[in-house]
Order: sequence, then C-alpha cells, then structure tokens
Amino acid sequence: MSKIDRHDTDILIIGSGGAGLFAALHAQQSAPQGTKITIAVKGLIGKCGCTRMVQGGYNVALGPGDTVERHFMDTIKGGKWLPHQDMAWRLCEEAVVRVQELENEVGCFFDRLPDGSLHHKAFAGQTADRTVHKGDLTGIEIINRLMEQVLARPVEKLQEHRAIALIPTADGAALAGVLFIDMRSGQFRFVRARAVLLASGGGPSMYKYHTPSGDKTMDGLAMALRAGLPLRDMEMVQFHPTGLLAGEDTKMNGTVLEEGLRGAGGHLLNGAGQRFMFDYDPLGERATRDVVSRGIYAEMGKNNASPNGGVYISMAHLGPDSVRQKFKGMVKRCADCGFDLAAGKVEVVPTAHYFMGGVVVDPDTRTALEGLYVAGEDAGGAHGSNRLGGNGVANSTVFGGVAGDVMGQDIQKTRSHRDPDETVLEAEIARARHPLGQKPGLIHPLRRDLMAAMWDYVGVTRTTAGLARGAQRVGEIEAELMAVGVAGDNLAFNLSWHDWLNLHSLVSVSRVIAQAAQARENSRGAHYREDFPEQGELETSYFTVARQSGEDLQVGREPVRFTIVRPGETVLPEGEPESLVQAAQ
Amino acid sequence: MDVSVWRGTAEGAFQTFQVPARDSQTILDVVAWIQQNLDPTLSYRFACRVGMCGSCAMTVNGQPRWTCRTHVKKALKNNKIQIAPLRSLPVIKDLAVDMDPFFDKWVRAEGVFHPSKTRRDKVEALAPQTAARQTADAGIECINCAVCYAACDVVAANPDYLGPAALNRAWTLVNDAKDGGYDKILEAVSDHGGCHNCHSMGNCARFCPNELSPMTSIAGLKRATVKSFFKRKA
Repeated sequence: MSKIDRHDTDILIIGSGGAGLFAALHAQQSAPQGTKITIAVKGLIGKCGCTRMVQGGYNVALGPGDTVERHFMDTIKGGKWLPHQDMAWRLCEEAVVRVQELENEVGCFFDRLPDGSLHHKAFAGQTADRTVHKGDLTGIEIINRLMEQVLARPVEKLQEHRAIALIPTADGAALAGVLFIDMRSGQFRFVRARAVLLASGGGPSMYKYHTPSGDKTMDGLAMALRAGLPLRDMEMVQFHPTGLLAGEDTKMNGTVLEEGLRGAGGHLLNGAGQRFMFDYDPLGERATRDVVSRGIYAEMGKNNASPNGGVYISMAHLGPDSVRQKFKGMVKRCADCGFDLAAGKVEVVPTAHYFMGGVVVDPDTRTALEGLYVAGEDAGGAHGSNRLGGNGVANSTVFGGVAGDVMGQDIQKTRSHRDPDETVLEAEIARARHPLGQKPGLIHPLRRDLMAAMWDYVGVTRTTAGLARGAQRVGEIEAELMAVGVAGDNLAFNLSWHDWLNLHSLVSVSRVIAQAAQARENSRGAHYREDFPEQGELETSYFTVARQSGEDLQVGREPVRFTIVRPGETVLPEGEPESLVQAAQ
Repeated sequence: MDVSVWRGTAEGAFQTFQVPARDSQTILDVVAWIQQNLDPTLSYRFACRVGMCGSCAMTVNGQPRWTCRTHVKKALKNNKIQIAPLRSLPVIKDLAVDMDPFFDKWVRAEGVFHPSKTRRDKVEALAPQTAARQTADAGIECINCAVCYAACDVVAANPDYLGPAALNRAWTLVNDAKDGGYDKILEAVSDHGGCHNCHSMGNCARFCPNELSPMTSIAGLKRATVKSFFKRKA
C-alpha cells in the first residue's frame, strides 16, 4: 500500500469559486456549532477558478418592471427548452436573495445609477435590463469580498490540493471521502467527510482555443464519471465568438475579448478586411454568441482567415479615444500583450468558454450518491443547451449557497464518518502514479493534439463523420498518454505530473462530449450538427445522459420534464409585453 | 534569448535556459515553455492568464511584475531575462511562493467587510458620486497579486508590517458607507505593524500593475487614525 496521509472533516468543499466560497459561508451558518468545515482547492483560495474572471455581470430580477418569472422565461428560452425547470426557477428566484446578500453581508458594491439604485445593463438574449455588475470586473469584486469572509473564518484550508478521486464506501451506497494530492509536497491525502461538495468548475479547456483559467481541466466531471454518476447535456459546449488569437506558444490564445465590444458596434472583418457577419445573420455582429461563433468559423473555412487563422475585430471606426475610455481594461490588456484594440485590428477566433453539461443533481444540489453534492459549472441542468450571459455567476453563487445550507442540515442525520472502499482507494492511487512508472516524455504535444482534435471534429459545428473521427482521435491520444511518463524522483510541486493528470481528466471528458454529440441528432443551442440543422420538436425535447461503468460508456436520452411551463406557453401574466428592453438599444 | 530562473527554495541558484523568441510572448509563456520543453521539474504558479487572479507575480529582471501581462519585449535587457520568486514571501519551490502571510495580514488589517444589514434587506440606495465612494472606488480594483508587497522596502525590513495591499483594502472599507467596522479597522491599522510604519517611498504605487496607489490610501489611514485618536482623547 502506498503511504498516504489520512484526515477527517465534517463538510468538505472542493473548489473556491463562487460556489465553493458561498457553500463555506452557508455551511457555517446552517451546521451545528463545532462542525468542521474544510475547503480544498487546486490553486490558492479565491485565486484560481473562473468566477473571478467574470466580466459581464450577474443576472437578477431587481430592475424596473423585471420579475423572477421573466428571468425564468428568458433562461428557458435561452436554453432552448432543455433546462431542468425546477433548477432554473430556483436560480432566478434565489438570485435576488443572493445579490442582496452579496451587497449587505459580503460587502460587494455593484455599479449604481446617479440616484443610488443598482444599474442593470442589457445583455443579449434577455427581455429586461437585468445584469448587475461592477464595471467589467464583476468577478473580481465578488470573489475578493467572498474570499475575505472565508479567510476570516475558522475554515480549514487545503490549498494546492488537487482532488483526484471520489471514494465510495465498500458497499458503494455512499461517498466516504475524497483522495487528494497535496501538490506542494506530492503526498497523497485521503479526507473523510460526512458531506462533500464538488464545485471544482467545469471549463472546456480541451479545445485549441479556450477561455477558462489555466488550472481548469474538468477534474470534477472526470472524477464523477469514474464514480459512476450520471452526467447530462455533455454535448453542450458554449463558444464565445471573440477569443484573442496571438500565435504559437502563448497562453494569451483564446482569452476572451468581451461581449460588449460587439454590442458597442465593433466590426468583425475577414482576412480581406471585409465585414461578413451580415452574410450569416440579419443582426450581424450583434447576433447571439452561438450564431456569431458559427459565422466566424464558417468564414475561416472559406480561406478568408487572418494570418494566424482567425478573423479581426476592429473598433477604430468608433473613435480610438472613445474606445479607450469605454473599454479601458480591455484596451490595456491588449496593449500589455502587444495589440492595439483602440486604433488597430486585433485577431480573434471563437473560443470554448463554458460547459453547460454536468452531474445530474436536484434543485437542492443532491446527487445519486449519498454524501455527494454538486454545484456550479460541475452541475448540469440549469442552463440546458445554452447559458445566458450573466447566468453563470448567478448559478454558481445561488447553488453554492444552497449546497452549504443543505449540507449543514443533512450532516445532522449522519453522525459518523463512513469508511472508504480500500480497493478503490488503492486503484485510484495506482492510476495517479501510472506515469511515474513509464519512460519520461513530453506531455504538452499530446495536450496540443487533443485540443486540435476536439476543435476540428467536436467543435463549433459538427458532423457524423467528424464526430466519429474525433472520438477515434481521443482514444488514440489516451493510448499515447498512457505510454508517456513523468520522472518521479521529486513529486513536490511537480507540474509535469499534474499536466499528465490534467490531460487524463480532459481525455476522459472529451470522450463523453464526442459520444453525447453523436447521440444528439438535432441542433439545439450550443450544439450544431451540419447534418441535422433542425432543432427538432420542442414538445418531445430530450437531454442526453452519459454513464460510465469501467471502460464502458453509455449515452442515453431522457425526455425533458416541463414541470413549470410547456413549449409555446409562458408564466408571464397575460398582456405582459414580450420585452421591456427599448427597441432603440 | 538567455533566461535565468531561480531553482530551489530560500537556498538555491539561478539556472540558465535558451528560449526561442516569439512575436507574442509573455514572461509566463517563457516560464511555461521551459517547463513544457526543457525541464519538466520547474515549479511556478499561474491561473487566469489575463491579469485578474494575481497568482503569477514574480521578480523579473529585478522588478516585481505579474508575468501573464508582461510582454517579453518590455522586460528584456540585453537579450537576457532573470526570473526569481517574489521578495518577502517564503519560497515553496523555484518560482512559487507561499502567499499565506500576505493574506493573514489582509485579515489582520480588518480587510473584511463588517455587515450592518442582512440578505433580507433591499440593496441600499447609495449615490456613486460622493467623495467617500469615489475614494473607495479608487482603491477597490486590487487583485491581491502581492506585487506591491514585494516592492515595499518596509515590508522587507519589518516582517510585522501589514503592507500596502492590506492597508489599501482597509482604507476602502473606511470609506464604504455600508461598512460597520470603522473603529475596529482604525484600531487594527494603528496597532504595531500598522499604517504609521509607511515611509511613503511609493514603490507600491510605482509597481502596481493596476495603477492603484496604496501609498495614498495609507496616507488617508494615517490622517484618520490621528483624527480618531484626538477625538477619543477629547
């Protein structure tokens, strides 16, 4: 048996984004005095993960005339009738409380109008001005304030602890705890807990161009998959149309240039310097994310690409000084990286941004495995086939708080810790140690191969033949990965070992994405099949559910349950206008 | 180009690598290229890649910088770059430091919102143009990257000093109409290691990648603590 450290806590939270931090605060409020709460995270508390990177803002029905019903209808329509309706309702309803909590208890200060009331900005796909924000750095405000609250409380911190496996009890009926690698020392650490929240964030970083934080590699979903949990909507990968394109070997590639640039009147130009978006949609550059992403992708395929293989975004016609003033942060970021956004053209490319798919949960964040709760981007259902801008941070903070409340109550029913299945524990340690027994080699080229395969075959637009090829490539890359090793003489802060584990997670989840995309023979939201371009009947909408058992991966379809509203109907009162947003905007 | 990189912990040495130049290349790209292609054992830390998380700050040719947003051309001297961990924080390995002391001081400075209302209350109507709010806004976009902390000579000489970032946060709270911890904050920042240790040398403002001025915030705290001291005496 490998030497491992063993550790106990009551409530274990994996991740320190909006979901993890809110869960820690709420668990402290709802659990009995003396409950031990531990937060474990792959990087530093409040620093890694994606909530911090939120630019746009937070959707909440607090604006003039707006209602929870209206927010809900926008979420359902935006998700093309695939969302889990009770989750979507919970999201919209509780966002109101959560924003008040952020302002009154956590200490955020969102932008105000001159009269002191909250400013709500308009965001694509919404029928009311609904998005509360702090300039274009909303995530920093939210996470900084949450982080302070958590750091000031007696919560145990396991930083730079990478979760590698969910370990069940011997009878498989419940979760016993989580196996980690303490990255700073390389030591394996098994943490038993009476309740565990998985909130490690999704993040589709298996694509050639992607926006998520560098630490994000789908570890949470890979662990859930190995634990046999059902995952839904796994074909649903949201692409943002304008990721920075900067050439070879730079982490700047794929980082997002904000939505507002197009909204403000920015032009997209092809390699020949011509606007092209009106060839694809009457709204041109102002069409929704999925439409613009597909337009750019199609244009790139016509040999109309910019030097690095994308298109350009051009703002100069709006007046460089005005662009500098309006998009200060964005202009500075581009300038730091060597690009002139205000007066020049910047190369952009669609970039994998958000993962709608995730673990099947109920609106209380409970899962099929007793003792395991999932919230944030690791959980599927709330967004269906497409997430509205501003619903991401609402989702993570709402359900993180819910998870904290629910875990605090549930642990009062389970007084003792559960013992792990030692065989599973041993097998998971062996899996993580696998590369240490192989001949050392370079891992990065394989990561590049995976990202290219997913981009080319399982990306913005998909076909039957392409998906089959993609699935095959993922399998080949996995086989190659198993033969590449990492020198194991010093495991302390050994990033190359973690690169291997990262890629292993990405490969397992990529395989599911490809297979789920094959199973959906229509085009909904983020999923577009060239060979099945129709959305299919709304009344008989289904979502995909993937389950892995050993090496066998099954993807099935389950009917969407319209528990609150059926296609063609609305929960808005009769006579309520279609939209509250002025047509002039 | 020649890149020399710190290897080790508090004890260690620089090791030199040859890294090919690219048109678009940050210091973080250089560090990652070494780890991915030349030496898989090199340790460093990064997360967001875009200057929002403050995980990747290092000392680059002698200056503290966030590496994801520093273009190589800006830092290169005679085609050479030297990269070391941040000053004044314990080195875990190579280029990664332990940031806990930095955040412990953030909390010690009462850099944590003190609520006076609850989630059941409506969001308070607060005009954005007041002098206090403008003062708070001027310091609020700190991403806690610890560049100012590493740049500060007082921190380097006095490990007890709270440092510019923590004090800057305290000052934003002093000016936050919603915060209920005014007295507690002033007490925390006038204690040993507090704002009166600052010599106004201004390295914090000079190196802050977000162009904030913690020095100005600390000057505000000094005035406020003195005023409150006399008020209490009277």
